[in-house]
Amino acid sequence: MGILTTIQRFSLHDGPGIRSTVFFKGCNMRCAWCHNPETLSLEPQVLYYQLKCVGCGACAAVCPAHKVVNGKMVYDRSLCADNGKCAEVCFSGALETCGKEYAVQEIIDEVIQDKDYYETSGGGVTLSGGEVLLQAPFAKDVLHALKESGISTAIESNLAVDFSVLEPLLPDLDLVMCDLKIWDEESHKKWTGVSNKKVIENIEKLGETGIPLIVRTPLIPGATATEENISAIAQFVSQLPNMKTYELLNFNPLGGSKYQALAEDNPFASAKPFADAQLAVFRAAAEKFCGKVSVN
Amino acid sequence: MRDRINQLPIDTDVSYRNRLSILRERKIEDTKDKAGINSFTDGDDYGAIAPPKDYHFKPLPNHKNGSFYGYEGWSQNFFKLMSEHPIAIDPCDAFACRWMNCMSWMRRDSGTNKFNPDMSYEHLKPIQQKYGIVPGIGADAHFGGDYTIGLQLGFGGLMDKLVEYRYKNPGNDDFYDAEILTVMGVQAWIRNACKEIEKDILIETHPELKENLKQMLACNEYLIEGAPRTLREACQWICWFNMASREYNRDGAGCQLDETLRPYYEKDKENGILTDDEARYYIACLLLNDPHYYQLGGLSPEGKDMVSPFSYLILEAADWLDSSCNLTVRVHDSMDMNFLHKSVDYLFKRKNGWPRFSGDKALSEGFMKKGYPVELARQRVAVGCHWMSLPGWEYTLNDCVKVNCTKVFTVAFEEMMEGDGEKSTEELWKLYEKHMAIAVKATADGIFFHLDNQYKNEPELMLNLISHGPVEKGMDMSHGGAEYYNMCIDGTGIATVSDSFAALQQRVEVEKKLTFEKVYEVIKNNYEGAEGEYIRMMLHASARYGGGNTLGDKWAVRISDSFTAQVNAMDEMRPPVKFIPGWFSWSNTIQLGKVCCATPNGRKDGEPINHGANPHPGFRKDGALTAMTNAICSIQCGYGNTCPVQLELDPGMARGEENVQKICDYILTLFRKGGTLLNINIINAEQILAADKNPELFPDLVVRVTGFMAYFCLLTPEFRKLVVDRILVA
Repeated sequence: MGILTTIQRFSLHDGPGIRSTVFFKGCNMRCAWCHNPETLSLEPQVLYYQLKCVGCGACAAVCPAHKVVNGKMVYDRSLCADNGKCAEVCFSGALETCGKEYAVQEIIDEVIQDKDYYETSGGGVTLSGGEVLLQAPFAKDVLHALKESGISTAIESNLAVDFSVLEPLLPDLDLVMCDLKIWDEESHKKWTGVSNKKVIENIEKLGETGIPLIVRTPLIPGATATEENISAIAQFVSQLPNMKTYELLNFNPLGGSKYQALAEDNPFASAKPFADAQLAVFRAAAEKFCGKVSVN
Repeated sequence: MRDRINQLPIDTDVSYRNRLSILRERKIEDTKDKAGINSFTDGDDYGAIAPPKDYHFKPLPNHKNGSFYGYEGWSQNFFKLMSEHPIAIDPCDAFACRWMNCMSWMRRDSGTNKFNPDMSYEHLKPIQQKYGIVPGIGADAHFGGDYTIGLQLGFGGLMDKLVEYRYKNPGNDDFYDAEILTVMGVQAWIRNACKEIEKDILIETHPELKENLKQMLACNEYLIEGAPRTLREACQWICWFNMASREYNRDGAGCQLDETLRPYYEKDKENGILTDDEARYYIACLLLNDPHYYQLGGLSPEGKDMVSPFSYLILEAADWLDSSCNLTVRVHDSMDMNFLHKSVDYLFKRKNGWPRFSGDKALSEGFMKKGYPVELARQRVAVGCHWMSLPGWEYTLNDCVKVNCTKVFTVAFEEMMEGDGEKSTEELWKLYEKHMAIAVKATADGIFFHLDNQYKNEPELMLNLISHGPVEKGMDMSHGGAEYYNMCIDGTGIATVSDSFAALQQRVEVEKKLTFEKVYEVIKNNYEGAEGEYIRMMLHASARYGGGNTLGDKWAVRISDSFTAQVNAMDEMRPPVKFIPGWFSWSNTIQLGKVCCATPNGRKDGEPINHGANPHPGFRKDGALTAMTNAICSIQCGYGNTCPVQLELDPGMARGEENVQKICDYILTLFRKGGTLLNINIINAEQILAADKNPELFPDLVVRVTGFMAYFCLLTPEFRKLVVDRILVA
């Protein structure tokens, strides 16, 4: 069994063609801009969307973290056991448990429904996260079952693990997508909490396997989105023999409501996606060194 | 109606592209003029313009109730309408005139009974009301004509043909006299237009526009009698037929536009009298004149892809016009994929809801299951809101006949709960099927009444002219004139009903969280009170249609299979009349919902049912298009009529270099999986909310409401909500 946050079908931004993306829960990085903060912890968590609460009080009957105060629901997260009992009786959508255990077959049953779309478009299934390699044995089983079902596979990973963790997955992988967010190691540590040494080493090792590789850099204002950083990464990836594309991903501001639901601060709450003109500048910085650049 | 003569300084750039920019701005003015006129509210764009304020047409009654009926009533009023019609000429336009009135609306507005009261169907009404049936009795048009008949003969040739067959078929004088008067009416309108253009030529000072008016005059003087010889004449002829047919009874069926006009384009090019820019200008003006439902591409009767350079040119013309264009691209596996890609590009570029897409494979193969050959099936095209027609060969009442399945469900549920028998979803299913069989039979009875009597109520005098059979036989299309009778019976509310079955099964039978009695009790109270609302939310959150292999999806397949079989069984009633099932509500979602009490899917008393074959909004947390599409493909009735997919896409979906191709791949897969029709709106939530607040600030915002295209500012708040809710949830 593995713990996932969700399975997203008809995903257009997680690899080639039409895909389904399986989001693993738990991450070994702490990127300051993360737009999926609910995927960081390996444990199930309750998300509370206050705007959807209708004040029915059903949650208060099963969990001490919820109380009706002056006719309004109050959620005291410090009392929450994150056992999901409150979400089970909430039908307005205000309370959700993020993180559910899945068997391999459950995942296959869901994603196989879109097999026709994968085949027409050259798509497939992407295991993403969080960090998929934190549950590598389960991920290996999922990838193997996907291949057995005739479905093309990919992972999106930060690769900040020992290569021995990744290696067993390779026989069932058609594509590896990995983030190389920042070239400068100190800056990488500052923004993500970990060094980029293993990331770079693993990318180089993957180059020897022949598995197609897409390297991606999220464009984060004030962090990754500098011409200098993009040029440095482009120079590195351009020498990889299996590099399909170097992708620049525009800033995604959609994680805001999730931070609220987790009662956490969003440090990039006011940041906005880059305009086309600025994206063109970043593209040019990458294309100076690398001929296979895309901007999404 | 605005004066457009001599309005531009003589140094104005009137290149073809610039003329279209001017026409587009003028269309926005015309659209604003239509706001507040009842006839143009909540309907298609139509291309019509508001009539002059001092123009009032007074119909001639031929019945004691003050209305008009039958061959005589309709032909005499049509001739009068045509003879008196205001003439709108725009020197920037390639074509003369616009339409502004409709005889069907005159009867509705007069407050008299729409169907001829001399033929009563009171005996059918109690059962129609019990099951919320929209019977289609007295409905008009909603089948397609074959334009090539008219293009080959011209109005003069049509007149000759009528005279010839009047002589050959004695005893049908009332039919032929009415048809002759109908053609004379159209000719009178063209003559009046020519007189007006003559006057306008004297007033217009811009040299190029004056020259355009001279060419317009020559074209129209010829078309009073002659059959079109050039692309310009062919387009103007189609404009006249479309406008006159709209004025008659709002007929909006189009044709396979590329193949219909290609011979004229190629001949003009061969003769060196036409440039591609000129051709784009003519096509754009044709599309401006009236957004009839036109098809592009698809398989020819022999199985060859019909996409041609002229098909591309039509897309380019629509791009030039950048307005409401009702183009449908026929999709099949051997099509020119570049054409599909270009179509999707324009969809995202212009965000006007065009083109939409139809699936050749499922539609043809389905129609063949009714016993028709493949060559015929490939000629059946999407020329209506959601519907197909064999142009000129087939009478259908498509989109006019609806069974309110939600109402049928509520009747069955009440019977189960008020009775002493078993309470289970299987028992409910038996009762539902029993009542559905009665409802379908009653619907077919209504259709037979219509076929027996409609010609005495409202004959199809315009569409008869371009159909194969009526003139030859002296019989109206609704009454024996057509070669084939494939009568439409659409089911509505498939998601509402399947979600209701699924919610009962899940919450009562599987989880045992509720009892049938408790659900019935809260439904009778319309989910009032805290407990009622909590139960409503629980039912609403059940595994719904569109979720992907859910209970709701399984019930939907069962419901559709059963409905399809019951409709097909009606073929035995009066051969050779056949019945074709589909799932489509049109915008009746509001009205059909109003007559239904609360339902176990959490829907409250009077709330709308689901739209067409789509799931209810919020069917799945990630809103996955593929899950929704799979569900809709799985409930296709499969006999040649559609169960459409209605999509609301954010403009950002095509962001990224490969995403247009991904949308193309999605479309191809949808149709490979049995999909029949795909309507798409490209619009974001912020824009639609702003437009809903101040519609007058968005006079050029076009949305696809159901199958039809409308200017958002001409929709009532109720209809706007329909569109806004769909987009916000998407």
